[in-house]
Amino acid sequence: MSDISPSDFAGSLIRSYPTVTIESKSGQSLMISVTPSMIRDVVQFIADNLPMALPESVFGVDLEDDNYELIYIFWSHPARLLCQIRVQLKGETPSIPTVSDIFPGLEWHERETHEMFGIEFEGHPDLRPLLLPDELVGKYPLRKRFKTDRSRLAESGLPIVKPRPRPKKEEGSGK
Amino acid sequence: MSPDIGDEAVEIWFGPQHVSAHGWAAKLTVVGDYIVECDPHAGYFHRSAEKVLEFRTFKQGGLVLERMCMLEAFLAEYPYISAVEQIAGMEIPERAKVLRTIMMEASRIHSLQFWWGQLSAELGLFAMTLWPWVDREFFLDTFEELTGSRHAASFSTPGGIRYDFTDKVRQKLLRAIGRLESNLPKFKDMLLRSPTFKMRTKDVGLFNAEDGIKWGLSGPNIKSCGIPMDLRKDWPDPNLAYDLADWEVPVYENPEHPGQSDAYDRMVQRFMEIETSVSIIKQLLDQIPDGPIVDPKARAKANRLPAGEAYGRVEGTRGITTVWLKTQDKAQTPWRAKIRGPCFASYYSLKHMVPGSTFADFVVVFGSLDPYPGWWDR
Repeated sequence: MSDISPSDFAGSLIRSYPTVTIESKSGQSLMISVTPSMIRDVVQFIADNLPMALPESVFGVDLEDDNYELIYIFWSHPARLLCQIRVQLKGETPSIPTVSDIFPGLEWHERETHEMFGIEFEGHPDLRPLLLPDELVGKYPLRKRFKTDRSRLAESGLPIVKPRPRPKKEEGSGK
Repeated sequence: MSPDIGDEAVEIWFGPQHVSAHGWAAKLTVVGDYIVECDPHAGYFHRSAEKVLEFRTFKQGGLVLERMCMLEAFLAEYPYISAVEQIAGMEIPERAKVLRTIMMEASRIHSLQFWWGQLSAELGLFAMTLWPWVDREFFLDTFEELTGSRHAASFSTPGGIRYDFTDKVRQKLLRAIGRLESNLPKFKDMLLRSPTFKMRTKDVGLFNAEDGIKWGLSGPNIKSCGIPMDLRKDWPDPNLAYDLADWEVPVYENPEHPGQSDAYDRMVQRFMEIETSVSIIKQLLDQIPDGPIVDPKARAKANRLPAGEAYGRVEGTRGITTVWLKTQDKAQTPWRAKIRGPCFASYYSLKHMVPGSTFADFVVVFGSLDPYPGWWDR
């Protein structure tokens, strides 16, 4: 089982799920594109067929105009193989089935992606905010439209201080 | 608390004010002296590094990364630098490769010495806290001599390194290693053969390799189950020089419970990590080639990167540390940078590992995983 090669693994995945597209980036890395409805099947396939699959991370990328990409990364030490699964999502609050029951280690990664990007994970046991303070919950700060300049200063409730006028230069003070 | 737990259960907050809970807190449900549920909470000092990185140039990014974990600053900044170098297609000078590897291993030793002292303090063995920390000072002196800074050194930069080795740095590093080597067997004996230490750590925080991998654990936590999972060997990096040294992945498998790891095994495993790092440093110190430490033309490429994606990975002190980077064409700043800290997984796995152990063992289980809050509150 441990001597599965990247091409064998890609071949058996394609035979089981002919609609996925697989791109080999290097000898050690595969990029698998799937549709949101298939994510559970493909992740289950990885859990069953890729020896000792370590769930490295799940994260979102904002592609602007309500387009998002989710990337799941798995690393197999015996096969020396890195699998990136990529899913395109669209919509105001896009949703995708959770995989945290297959890989418990992804539970917190999904929780973080939920609070940072507003992506719903259907069937996730616990989508409470993980890292954010209360006042940022529901604002999805890693989206590109979340502004970090002074335009949102009023939200903080702090008094807005006008910049102090600069002191005039005194004559001869430059010496 | 789950509704099916009986009336006798009590909820207790462990942290964030507790002395061994520095920047984290877990809600524990206990029945008598036993923990039945653990709900770790994160976010006590979240610094939004991923958003901050979107507004920093590629040369500045490494400085943000090393603030994720000050103890292993030389290692923590590397995945970002590596991702930038991959997108730009940089070749870095041979001398820089070797010096980078040496300092990354020195950083690993320093981080492990700190952890070992801290775990001893949590067990109440204060002598074993201060002695390794005295040895650790010698490594900090080396970092100070080399970079001017004891912790956040910003040593690596896209295209090479920023500070060159002098004879004095070399002497100081050799002195730190010499002191460590003469003291390590003594300390190991004192700690690992101590009946108190054995009582507190044997069969505490036991998990098996399959579960650990499903929870996302990596590094010494998984190696102590007997699995030689180490990116230094598995993921050859052309910009590092691990292949110049002759070394084996340190793996400790306890014959009492093969395929499983408890707090004691993780302690032994980390001592083996220190010994391996010492051996790598000593071999590489004899092989430092002459030449420049940074290629200015390559470094200039980092001002504007082409569109691309890269995944920088390194075997950190605590496990697999990665940065996923996406850039747009002619970008001065990243479009998205995702940091994967190894302790995100080890902190989460407390939820599964702790129930069943006693309240007094909670600190030992936590400490034995070597978690650093900076890695989950990025």
